[in-house]
Amino acid sequence: MLHAGLEQYVLVSALLFALGFFGVLLRKNTLVIYMCLELMLVASTLALVAFSRFNGTMDGNVFVFFILTIAAAEVAVGLAIIVALFRQRHTVQVEELNHLKN
Amino acid sequence: MSLELLKAAADSNQWWALAPEVMLACAALALLVLELVLPRAEHHKIPLFAIAAQAIVLVGVFLNFDTNWLGESTFGGLIRHSNWGQIARVFFVLSSLLVCFLATVCLPRTRMPRVEFYHTVLVVTAAMMLLAQSDHFVMFFVALETVTVGLYILVSYFRDNPLTLEAGLKYLVMGALSSAIMLFGIVLLYGAVGRVEGANGAIHTGFEFGTAAAFLQAHPDNFLAVAGALLVLSGVAFKIGAFPFQIWVPDVYQGAPTPVTAFLAVSSKAAGFAVLLLLVRNVFAPLQSVLVPVLSLMAGATILFGNLSALTQRNAKRLMGLSGISHAGYLLLGVIASFTVPWAGGAVWFYLFTYLLATMAVFGVMAYCTGENDADHELDTYDRLSRDRPFLAAVLAIGLGSLAGIPPLAGFLGKLILFIAAFQAHLYTLLAVAIVGVVLSIYYYFGWIKAAFFESWRPAFSTETATAAPRTTPSLFGTLTLALLAVATVVLGFFPGPLTSWLIGK
Repeated sequence: MLHAGLEQYVLVSALLFALGFFGVLLRKNTLVIYMCLELMLVASTLALVAFSRFNGTMDGNVFVFFILTIAAAEVAVGLAIIVALFRQRHTVQVEELNHLKN
Repeated sequence: MSLELLKAAADSNQWWALAPEVMLACAALALLVLELVLPRAEHHKIPLFAIAAQAIVLVGVFLNFDTNWLGESTFGGLIRHSNWGQIARVFFVLSSLLVCFLATVCLPRTRMPRVEFYHTVLVVTAAMMLLAQSDHFVMFFVALETVTVGLYILVSYFRDNPLTLEAGLKYLVMGALSSAIMLFGIVLLYGAVGRVEGANGAIHTGFEFGTAAAFLQAHPDNFLAVAGALLVLSGVAFKIGAFPFQIWVPDVYQGAPTPVTAFLAVSSKAAGFAVLLLLVRNVFAPLQSVLVPVLSLMAGATILFGNLSALTQRNAKRLMGLSGISHAGYLLLGVIASFTVPWAGGAVWFYLFTYLLATMAVFGVMAYCTGENDADHELDTYDRLSRDRPFLAAVLAIGLGSLAGIPPLAGFLGKLILFIAAFQAHLYTLLAVAIVGVVLSIYYYFGWIKAAFFESWRPAFSTETATAAPRTTPSLFGTLTLALLAVATVVLGFFPGPLTSWLIGK
């Protein structure tokens, strides 16, 4: 059986984090951007659980519950804003949301 | 974990030590209950309840400033009470009191529900107070996210205005991005520090500020830990709007409702600096050799970017945002100086207090000079303000003069004390950049004053009828508040002694 070490977990979570980060910077659809933001939080959670397991402390596992709660609150507020914006503008593409300019 | 450890953990939950935060949270809930209980005709009294509750908390914190808890840590090491924590409490309550006053001016012009606004402001303020006293990364992150999520709601509060919602979306994406970056930094620190055995079998982790600082002291070149520290600091840089993380500031400041713009400009920025001082003085102090160059570059670029981009700005709210970036740059100077000059932290707080008074005075005048769509707020709105409303024009001039740092107003002393601290810390290059920035800022602040005091030239044959700018006469309460802010700005410029000895002496 194959055993994954700490390095592998941290590497995967760093890759996921980078994927989310560049997704936020490069994608044009607000909903996809929002999914990328959640991906970054999940990547942090994966690293946290791996560190917690390999360090032998429970604190990291407990912190995961806080992160999940916060992510849920953030999604609730964020989707509400996106829906309200869609009702006003009928678009969620970032290149069309540029009315705030000099 | 042994039984004694559990008992010690339970004993450390000292709820009285958090009385101000608990009172604010209870007041926030009471507001919602009042809306249910009171008849509709009495609803206009609810904001007064919010203001009264905050005034009581403010007086309470002030009277109990030197509590027995100072220097103690409570709630199992989540909270550490300190002088700076107490100063932060006073600052945040004062600021949210003034934001609620601005809301009583702006909210009745729209059809939006009112009570939830005050509720969210109170909750966010309580979270900021906890944030400034946190001693543990879990507490730190949860308090910071409470602030951020609350601010998402507030920024997009006027949900029938597409510009406000666009600002809300931009703040949401940028805020969530910075939080995620900061979280990854915290996780890396936790992973790098690992498991530390303490006295009596207690186990410590990198979440505790003290343990993380001890680890960084012992291993200053651990790659994971240094990367984590830098990620955490870039998350904080987003919150204070420092270069290169300042892109969200002008758009969000323009689109947000005016009271929320004031809240972002004062409370949110001060929370960022409270956190930055906390981190730089405690956890990341051993990384001085890495942090000083990084923060210095950031400060210089922030000052130049803020001032240069504000030069040609004609929208008043964008101007406040961009000039706010440059103020963040001056404050960063104080944070860098605090590595070598211990009293520089007090200088940062003094600057924040003068900035609070001046900014709130300016936003108070702005609240009286806008119509329903307050995202569209050009400097031309202030045309002939000195003739129509001489009082508002005078308050505006004092506020802007203080922000520009004109003697003898309080803002001048704030800058002077900050620059003396930077001089003692031998930051000569940065000091030169900051002085260039101050000279540039006089140009755009006085452009605004000029718009308010001197008639702009209009061609006689112009078919364009000068539309009367929407201006409301301040109520007695509003006049008193604005007068108090202006007088405090002038008096503090002449007699800074009590405040400086309070902030720097301690």
